[in-house]
Amino acid sequence: MSLWADKHRPSALSKVDFHREQATQLRNLVQCGDFPHLLVYGPSGSGKKTRIMCLLRELYGAGVEKLRIEHQSITAPSKKKIEISTIASNYHLEVNPSDAGNNDRVVIQELLKTVAQSQQLETSTQRDFKVVLLTEVDKLTKDAQHALRRTMEKYMATCRLILCCNSTSKVIAPIRSRCLAVRVPAPSIEDVCHVLSSVCKKEGLIFPQDLARRIAEKSGRNLRKALLMCEACRVQQYPFASDQDIPETDWEVYLRETANAVVSQQTPQRLLEVRGRLYELLTHCIPPEIIIKGLLSELLNNCDGQLKGEVAQMAAYYEHRLQLGNKAIYHLEAFVAKFMALYKKFMEDGLEAMMF
Amino acid sequence: MMSKDSSRRKKAPAKVTDWVEPSFDDYLKNTNLLSSNLSTKSFKDINQHQKRKDHPSVLESSKSRVPTKKKGKSSSIDEICDQSENEPWVDKYKPKTQNELAVHKKKIEEVEAWLKAQVFQRPLKQGGSILLLTGPPGCGKTATIQILVKDLGIQVQEWTNPVSLDFRKEDFHNAFNHESSFQILPSQTQTALFQEFLLRANKYNKLQMVGESAETDKKLILVEDMPNQFYRDPSSLHELLRRFVRTGRCPLVFIISDSFSRDGNQRLLFPKEIHEELFIASISFNPVAPTMMMKVLNRIATAEATVNGEKDAVPEKLFLERICKGGSGDIRSAINNLQFSSLKECSSENNFWSRKKANSALKCDTSSKVKKKKKSNILENQEIDAVGGKDTSIYLFHALGKILYCKREPLTESESPQLPSHLSEYERDVLLVQPEDVVEKSHMPGDLFNLYLHQNYVDFFTEIDDLVRASEYLSTADFLCSNWNSRLALSEYSTSVATRGVIHSNTARAYAHCQGGMGFRPLHKPQWFLINKKYQENCLAAKSLLSSFCLPPLCLQTQLLPYLAMLTNPMRNQAQVTFIQDVGRLPLKRHFGRLKLEALTDKDPGIQELDSGDEGELSVQTMERGKNKTNEKDEPDESPLPSSQSSGNDLPGSQPQPAAAQAIMEEDELKIEDYDSD
Repeated sequence: MSLWADKHRPSALSKVDFHREQATQLRNLVQCGDFPHLLVYGPSGSGKKTRIMCLLRELYGAGVEKLRIEHQSITAPSKKKIEISTIASNYHLEVNPSDAGNNDRVVIQELLKTVAQSQQLETSTQRDFKVVLLTEVDKLTKDAQHALRRTMEKYMATCRLILCCNSTSKVIAPIRSRCLAVRVPAPSIEDVCHVLSSVCKKEGLIFPQDLARRIAEKSGRNLRKALLMCEACRVQQYPFASDQDIPETDWEVYLRETANAVVSQQTPQRLLEVRGRLYELLTHCIPPEIIIKGLLSELLNNCDGQLKGEVAQMAAYYEHRLQLGNKAIYHLEAFVAKFMALYKKFMEDGLEAMMF
Repeated sequence: MMSKDSSRRKKAPAKVTDWVEPSFDDYLKNTNLLSSNLSTKSFKDINQHQKRKDHPSVLESSKSRVPTKKKGKSSSIDEICDQSENEPWVDKYKPKTQNELAVHKKKIEEVEAWLKAQVFQRPLKQGGSILLLTGPPGCGKTATIQILVKDLGIQVQEWTNPVSLDFRKEDFHNAFNHESSFQILPSQTQTALFQEFLLRANKYNKLQMVGESAETDKKLILVEDMPNQFYRDPSSLHELLRRFVRTGRCPLVFIISDSFSRDGNQRLLFPKEIHEELFIASISFNPVAPTMMMKVLNRIATAEATVNGEKDAVPEKLFLERICKGGSGDIRSAINNLQFSSLKECSSENNFWSRKKANSALKCDTSSKVKKKKKSNILENQEIDAVGGKDTSIYLFHALGKILYCKREPLTESESPQLPSHLSEYERDVLLVQPEDVVEKSHMPGDLFNLYLHQNYVDFFTEIDDLVRASEYLSTADFLCSNWNSRLALSEYSTSVATRGVIHSNTARAYAHCQGGMGFRPLHKPQWFLINKKYQENCLAAKSLLSSFCLPPLCLQTQLLPYLAMLTNPMRNQAQVTFIQDVGRLPLKRHFGRLKLEALTDKDPGIQELDSGDEGELSVQTMERGKNKTNEKDEPDESPLPSSQSSGNDLPGSQPQPAAAQAIMEEDELKIEDYDSD
């Protein structure tokens, strides 16, 4: 039994649940046999990957769904061995080059070279190009992106690239201009509700509309998350009640508690406790950027309108530091400390104003 | 037998191993040799050049000296040197009774008690016991053992690392021929020899017991010289020790000097687990206290003065104090220094000159020699520091204390102008410490020091506003050495920013008069490395275990993993299940996740950086991770909740219960229970 999100994933462009117009366009794009490099972008859980897989299926037939995970090792010019895992079918290759960290350039060059240099054997029945799907392109280093640019031109004859990312802002302009950009926006609340209902129907469950809407809202229009939530609801309680609790991820709850702890008391001791909690979050695989973002939104819920601007600015400042620096905890802690001081001062001022 | 009876060894005149390494006799000879050379005032001579060439080797050879050196020297030089003068003072005035030891009474008693307990009061107890003596070099570890052993009438068998045979076969035979009972096969490794030594030392004891008198059958095995292989592979030592503890019949004493180099010998060779497993007693010596050292130096100086028939007066007190200070708790070097500096007064211009020469020979700077001769008395103060001055170093614990407690001195009005009123909040008293010096002396890389500081600074603050500034400074410090390109150059500045920032922003300790009443705050080791390592390991594990979902890491970690923990999806294998429960779940409800802090003790060296980057096999990691977790977590709460509550809502029923599968390690189980309870 697989997850609902995987089980009910549409496999053809004609069957996708939302952004149908775009799907038709994509179909048309492929139907003429060839297509340019694609840059698919959009928020998490909006169906980018689903559309890409549908596209590939449209292109190559059901063969692309026979996936195998391969572990490749590439030797960098510095003789360093880089291990990277790829997901491949006979027709395409999916890789997340940012897994290789700083060596992503080497991965891009070597992998693309090996894929692109081998011609398809039966050009009569098959397409004469392979597809390489690169995920998280926005996480690539500048070096790798420039290498990519060069490679894109060089192997145009034998290979098409599909780049997948959340935002194009971190993709260099030359790459953006070489690709056909396809934006996949997040599904609307209605779309999510619709998908949830249809999935539940397929599962043979009775699903109240109110719950669907609540889940959709809570998921932040992230379809994957919404489906996971829905499935978790199912585990929690069935038959569904329209007012049942929607399970949240532990780390979100934990983060909220942390934010509450920050708001409720501003002392050095509390800072130490918060540090412990931040460490706890980190050991549970929550990246520091997510922590600072989540913390900010929770804190903003708790503080007065006057403070919000300043707090957001602080968060931006420390997130920048976090990106540049080495050790996230310094910056997270500095942010928390700063918020504490700001909030304390604000409360004291408010108290004084009340008294006089 | 490889071992050498210490008493016999002492009798052997000027052999390889003596009481304390006689650092001077070579030196003296050599200076004489040099001085005779120098008296000809032929600086540019080729002769001189040759001397220079072998000079450093001679200086260094004080440690690794071998008898050939002596034989190789021309006899004429030996004649110049008077034999009594030749003997270094560390040997000449070695302590002969417990009273003369420059070690605290309590320490001696401690060691004595152990020895007595192990040697005399364990009639038929099976198994050997192990004592570990640690402490900085020159604090009297060996001396204490030697004296106690003499007093208690215990025989010592000491391990000495054998010199490799093909290297100096002849010397080797010289050194060992009186113990011809054993044969060393050239093919044997040091480790094998050591092992054999331990076993034979045991057996030997047993044989002796038959006919010998009661005094001599008390034996002690002493190991000061660790076979090198053990540093590379400590586990082989541990194995050996386990065997020794099982079968040994006499106590085994290890003497290991603390060092500031970061390999942490003692830690490497005798980790905590081994301590506990084998019941190793550990006694740690402190550096020799200044008063003790003064006493010893005074005794030696007076004795020397009388011997020389008032040729040189007793050195003045100030002078001794300076030596004492320069020695920084190392009595051996202090005595050496004393001998060194008294050479100046007692002997001719030649000798004096040669001392300077020796001093500067290391630098190989000819021009400075000429200058030095003209040096005035004032400069000589520094000179002595240069001769005797051990590089003073501080343990990390003290270094952190110096920064965090930041001692200040009240400002005198006349000394410095007042800050203008709008800046008065930045007014501080004069700092008594130089943060940069402190960091340098702590022998730590800057960013590691920052981490230690970061782990501990919060406890020393009372005002949240101060904390903001301090944390801001630490953040800046991290930012400064973020770029790997410039990290090397900037790391010093970064530490400077961090330390000074933390000191300055602590307004509660801004003035000397308000610094009291702080009390002792325990210091802790930084958790960052562990946290970071676990973060990375967990991420990798997530990627490898759940790769079938084909998701980017971010989605995987923040969405899939936490929800998988709630779902009923049967996973393919146990590793996945435990991992998901472990990482996807957070200890909610418990108010604060408490990571156990590891206290930083007095003499702990800095920890090694753990984040090496390349990790091994993932499967192994996940296993290990389980272990780490349990170590790190607090123990499960005392009051276990009713089982109905602990299962059910947290662990979905259809999911294989981790508790059911006993095959997977118990640590993980414990961990999950930990999460469930409370």
